[in-house]
Amino acid sequence: MIVRPLGVAALALFFFGAFTPLPTLLYARLAVPTRIGPADAIVVLAGGGVLGDGQLSDTSRRRTALGIELYRDGRAPLLVLSGALGAGAESAARAVLARTCGVADAAMLAVAAGHTTHEEVATLAALLRARGVRRVLLVTDGSHMRRAARLFEAARFEVLPAPVRGLDDPPQPGERILLFHETLREGLALLYYEVAGYF
Amino acid sequence: MTPYLTIALTSLVAYLVAVRRLGMRPSDLPRAVAGVAGSLGTGVIFTLVNLAAAGALVLGLRALTGRFFTLYSLDDVVWLVVSLLQGWLWRLWRDAPRPRAPVS
Repeated sequence: MIVRPLGVAALALFFFGAFTPLPTLLYARLAVPTRIGPADAIVVLAGGGVLGDGQLSDTSRRRTALGIELYRDGRAPLLVLSGALGAGAESAARAVLARTCGVADAAMLAVAAGHTTHEEVATLAALLRARGVRRVLLVTDGSHMRRAARLFEAARFEVLPAPVRGLDDPPQPGERILLFHETLREGLALLYYEVAGYF
Repeated sequence: MTPYLTIALTSLVAYLVAVRRLGMRPSDLPRAVAGVAGSLGTGVIFTLVNLAAAGALVLGLRALTGRFFTLYSLDDVVWLVVSLLQGWLWRLWRDAPRPRAPVS
């Protein structure tokens, strides 16, 4: 019977995930190294939308903050702030934050670009091409970067990954399980995108 | 690591109480561990079936209605726990003693 071995395997996976560096090693295989340099545009991908009170979610705020920081460092003349469709006005809320931090409206493009990463990149690629953008500094979470970067590369952009730093080497068992979960989820998403022929 | 040391300590105390006070037999412990593995394995099967069914439902709804339904709705720890409980309940029910069929 397969049930007991499956249970033992699940227990083993849980303990390896919680008490060994397995999640960190798997995450390191998934992650893309940071490569900051001059680009035509900084593209901040949607993440988490806005909360009920209109404030950006934590994920969205962290991504936006890194995009603004890169813009203020003079890495690119254009800051593209993407937002999910139907998740409140994420792109607009990001634009407000960027404006507060001194980014001029003329240097900013706030777009509600899609429901999924695939839709989002398709929408952004058309807008960026129309502006002559070829090289993008891509801002998203570390676990999401590989999938997003591959979509932009498939759309013939040169990608400089600028991942938001997260829990890439967590010290606590609970955090390691979260990283394990995040890595497995993103691995499944990559597999889905591969099978769907999005790359 | 303090919480995990506490778990090790309470496990030892529980073992001693079980053997010395409650008269439970150490030889029955492997069977109990096998039972836990069986329940967990059943829970994993329910989780995988639920995952496949819910994923197909989300993608099917997208295709049929033309509206967007997010796969991220499956990324929920409560949903995982309920699937495991579903498996556990199934296992307990399956292993429950059944009345003998009447002899004709």
